[in-house]
Amino acid sequence: MTSAMNNLVIPVGEEGRARALSEFLAKLLELGVVDAMVVPVMPVPGVITYLMAKDPELIRQRAEPFASVMPVNGASPVARAVSKKPRGRIGVLLKPCEIRALVELVKLKQAEADNLFVIGIDCVGTVDREEYKEAYSDTSRLQFRDACRVCLNPNPPDTAFPGINIGHIGLDDESGLLASLSPELDPGIAGVIEELGFERGDVLAGKRQGVLATLKEERNDAYREFLQKAHAELDGEGIEGVAKLLAACIGCRNCRVACPVCYCRECIFDGDVFDYETRQILGRAGRKGGLKIPGETLLYHLTRMNHMSLSCVACGMCEDACPVNIKLFQLFAGVARRTQGLLQYVPGRSQEDQLPFTTFREDELEPR
Amino acid sequence: MDFEPRIVAFLCNWCTYTGADLAGVSRIQYPSNIRPIRVMCSGSVDPMYILKALLDGADGVLVGGCHQGDCHYVNGNYKARRRLAVLREVLDELGIGSERVWFKFISASEGALFAETVREMVDSLKALGPNPAKAVWFT
Repeated sequence: MTSAMNNLVIPVGEEGRARALSEFLAKLLELGVVDAMVVPVMPVPGVITYLMAKDPELIRQRAEPFASVMPVNGASPVARAVSKKPRGRIGVLLKPCEIRALVELVKLKQAEADNLFVIGIDCVGTVDREEYKEAYSDTSRLQFRDACRVCLNPNPPDTAFPGINIGHIGLDDESGLLASLSPELDPGIAGVIEELGFERGDVLAGKRQGVLATLKEERNDAYREFLQKAHAELDGEGIEGVAKLLAACIGCRNCRVACPVCYCRECIFDGDVFDYETRQILGRAGRKGGLKIPGETLLYHLTRMNHMSLSCVACGMCEDACPVNIKLFQLFAGVARRTQGLLQYVPGRSQEDQLPFTTFREDELEPR
Repeated sequence: MDFEPRIVAFLCNWCTYTGADLAGVSRIQYPSNIRPIRVMCSGSVDPMYILKALLDGADGVLVGGCHQGDCHYVNGNYKARRRLAVLREVLDELGIGSERVWFKFISASEGALFAETVREMVDSLKALGPNPAKAVWFT
């Protein structure tokens, strides 16, 4: 797709790439390309949050577009903010997994895409929230989160939204940042951006593609190794093996809240369906000799895998949110790979791909 | 005593449930291991229902729907087929195994097929043995 993209170079000055990109984003707001811009900012040292900016100066001073931390998958707050069609155009700067989650939310009718102007940005990985807080000024020594370490999509999808992608993988400050304008970008907007006078970036785009390909190969290996380890932990134990991995679950449902694509406003597990009467609990306890309370831990997690794994974008937010450190990403990654593979669905790739549970082919699967 | 598997069956009102009824009125003999639950459509069977039965120790779960093109609600059976296929992947990936979950298209006129399906399923579950979830209390 890169060839069809309109590639430009955003030069990086002495203040570094974060300020250079912030300046570009502030310009888009100033020039009226967007009426507001959602960017990650650092309100207090070491803490990153999203800001819906109306004042370009706030972006210039506080935006942290390269912050290597993801306290929340940005698709969630953005979808909430635009669930009812907003007036004016809203720009959002999002990482690849956030964009892919946003595509899923649009398809699930939880976000309104028409008035969004999506700016994707390369992301090689994010680190643990607490570790980031300690060492935010230099995170190069920190290890990426598991989900990022094995992430196969460090680049934003080209086909998801008619916006801009910011590329920096394999590019140093001297060469500048790559801004790739989607071929479907509104010509008016493209015109405004081209008037900023950036140089053509096709050479840069080629350089980035090469490094990206190598990175993806490495990630593929890491991913395979990761899944092998995951399988080894479950090895041959059946239902008991899964129950052991989830034994520490306290039923807080944080994983569901943090999951960008688990969207139901009212979840079956919050209703009174599972408020059993004592005699029912006693009956089940009698059959098994005893019963963990609160129960239905496996039912909850397996149901979520059935309902949501097709749209899982592998952001790992579930695992970050778990207060008892259950390896949820590890469980979800393997399951999602299989369910998505079965129905050949790539979540977040395009708004055109239909959600697999809303469609079917007459001649597929079993029984026939 | 021999192991007698317990099967929870979600049967579509329009096809498989009626097929089961036909097996009955035709006096076709089949094992009594099955506990039918009538649902309006196989497409209304959330994977959660199946998981609930399995986790609580049911030895098998059978979902019965209409044949292609026969769904009373146009395409519920196709959607059920996708859900069941996804459920199988989840169970297999986690090492739980999906062989206890069966999905069949059985029409209202196929009483004999219904009886045969139950016979086959009971044989297969007897070979598998009791559901290990029966003994896992920390689910």
